[in-house]
Amino acid sequence: MKVFITILICKLLRFVGGLIGKGSSKPGQIALKLCPDILSRVKLPERIIAVTGSNGKTSTVEMIAHILTRGGLTVAYNREGSNQIEGVTTLVLGASTLTGKVRSDVLLIESDERFARYTFRYIKPTHYVITNLYRDQLTRNGHPEWVYDAIADSVYPDTTLILNADDPLVSRFGADRENVIRFGADRLSTDTDANTSVYDDGAYCPVCKHPMTYSTRHYNHIGHYACAHCGYRRRDTAYAVTAVDMDKGELTIDGRYTIRLALKSLYNCYNILAAYTVGCLMGIAPEQIAADMSDYVLKNGRVITFMKGARRGTLLAAKHENSVAYDLCLRVAREYRDGCDLMIIVDNVSRKYFTGDVSWLWDIDFESLNEGHADRIILAGKYVNDLAVRFEAAGIDPGRISLYEDIHEAVESLDNGREEYVYVLTCFSDKAKFLNEITITSEV
Amino acid sequence: MKILHLYSDIMNLYGDYGNITAIMKLCGLIGEEYTVDRRSIGDAVKLSDYDFIYVGSGTERNMKVALGDLRRLKDELCAYVDSGRAALFTGNAFEMLGKSITDADGTVYEGLGLFDFTVTEQKKTRLVGDVIYDAPFLDSPLVGFINKCSEIRGIGDPLFTVRMGLGNAEGESGEGVRRNNLFCTHLTGPVLVKNPHMLGYIISLILGQPVDTAVLTYEHRGYAVTLRELRKRLDG
Repeated sequence: MKVFITILICKLLRFVGGLIGKGSSKPGQIALKLCPDILSRVKLPERIIAVTGSNGKTSTVEMIAHILTRGGLTVAYNREGSNQIEGVTTLVLGASTLTGKVRSDVLLIESDERFARYTFRYIKPTHYVITNLYRDQLTRNGHPEWVYDAIADSVYPDTTLILNADDPLVSRFGADRENVIRFGADRLSTDTDANTSVYDDGAYCPVCKHPMTYSTRHYNHIGHYACAHCGYRRRDTAYAVTAVDMDKGELTIDGRYTIRLALKSLYNCYNILAAYTVGCLMGIAPEQIAADMSDYVLKNGRVITFMKGARRGTLLAAKHENSVAYDLCLRVAREYRDGCDLMIIVDNVSRKYFTGDVSWLWDIDFESLNEGHADRIILAGKYVNDLAVRFEAAGIDPGRISLYEDIHEAVESLDNGREEYVYVLTCFSDKAKFLNEITITSEV
Repeated sequence: MKILHLYSDIMNLYGDYGNITAIMKLCGLIGEEYTVDRRSIGDAVKLSDYDFIYVGSGTERNMKVALGDLRRLKDELCAYVDSGRAALFTGNAFEMLGKSITDADGTVYEGLGLFDFTVTEQKKTRLVGDVIYDAPFLDSPLVGFINKCSEIRGIGDPLFTVRMGLGNAEGESGEGVRRNNLFCTHLTGPVLVKNPHMLGYIISLILGQPVDTAVLTYEHRGYAVTLRELRKRLDG
């Protein structure tokens, strides 16, 4: 009876919340108060797929849902912003009958990496995808090894782990176990031999802490690594990106399946590969997955093209406090062959919590803007002075830089007769302040 | 000025290297010649060759690796500090200099013993937050961020007084510790970029003469904005 009432209340709250546009964690939160072990009293599907990691969770989950649905399976999954236990509870009870049985073939869960141990206390994943561990929002996450330890508490012996083999810290979850599926990228045309980022989280072996070497780097600490001291190394993969052609916007998986990229970044390639891996494990034919993923566009407001007067441009939403995401966005601007201007806005560091900490600016490879096709640089927002200091340290010619504390003034300055394309790089926390000032032409 | 950035590759978790950048920049602006050496695990190094030594923060595991290496330099470091030369340890680098560190599993690591404090780590809760500290030797407060999983007990005479945020341990009103011109604080990242007045103070100690930091225009403006924003939080 308690289960019935809890589920009923959760469903009602979810329905009402949907009507008034409220978030999806509240119904689950109340359900957990009414019945703290409700998740252990619900009958779950045979296949429970979990996804966690620093970056790419939401995209990977959306892609998996797309592939499985196209493959004829019914999938219950949570959407962005509800990836802690309350949101997952809302998802599970929402997808369940009043008698407590989840009706879908697959339960697919995006989990916040720090709170996975709580979410998966009652729900034990059959398949667990771990995408990567980066320096991400360290003002609340501590550091990647801290997050590693938090995730480790949510990993059970009988769960099949699906791991990014190219991330040395992630791959460590697979040490000493049989039920591991690894995905990764072969040596790619875009690789480098040496680390190109400001810091190197791959310098030391995550197992024995002796120096590690790389035979190839995809980006940052993602690549093919080996420790001469303890023998820890990048393992062979079951599913691999075998080639990428960013000019053509194509990705090849397992040497056979070519996928056209709607978003031309290595990031996107990893997300697609992770989803492809899960699709294959769920019995979907690889050629069908490749077809389903070709030109796949995830509409999550991360890439927005706009007009400001006569200027055209694209806003790239990357999380502040995430240097890997920033580095990849800077790469997009640098590689814009016709030449572009670049605007960077740091006004609120996070949309979810307050911090005035801008240490993360020192982890971003702004030095890379000394090369490439980005010309003028407009720095804007409350923390414009900190940006200015960082850009000076990066050796960027001050003649290329203009500074605006006021975002409105910064945006107005774009319509100044220059014709170069504009890339705007900012966070979800600051995106709206820019969008209020321009005309959106398309959004994905 | 001869600068040593020790463990620059393994104790550099929060952009800590920016502290070295800040010193280089100010030296450049005031016409002071400098060299920077970066040394890490197992590298040959002679501390007495330097005028300033810096160590930044690392993961708990990396800090134990640095500590294991730093033990060989214990006597040299004591002599260096006793000679009155300047050094800065930020983040958990500071923890290496006490009596002991007990990790979350109960393993005890012997510290270098420059101070009598003891450190206890835990792995449940990350202790994070923006802070404002007062320093008796500075005209205006320090701003910064704490990111740790430990508490430090046994410091009678701390470096800073906590006005907002976390101190050495829960309920303590002091943060950091000082011995001669060795400054230790759990503040993370580019502390000397965020606090140009603190940078000026340390450089003037090294040079033995006052240093004007007014040339650091954007640093001072950035500091003022951060302090303003933090005060808004403090005043509710």
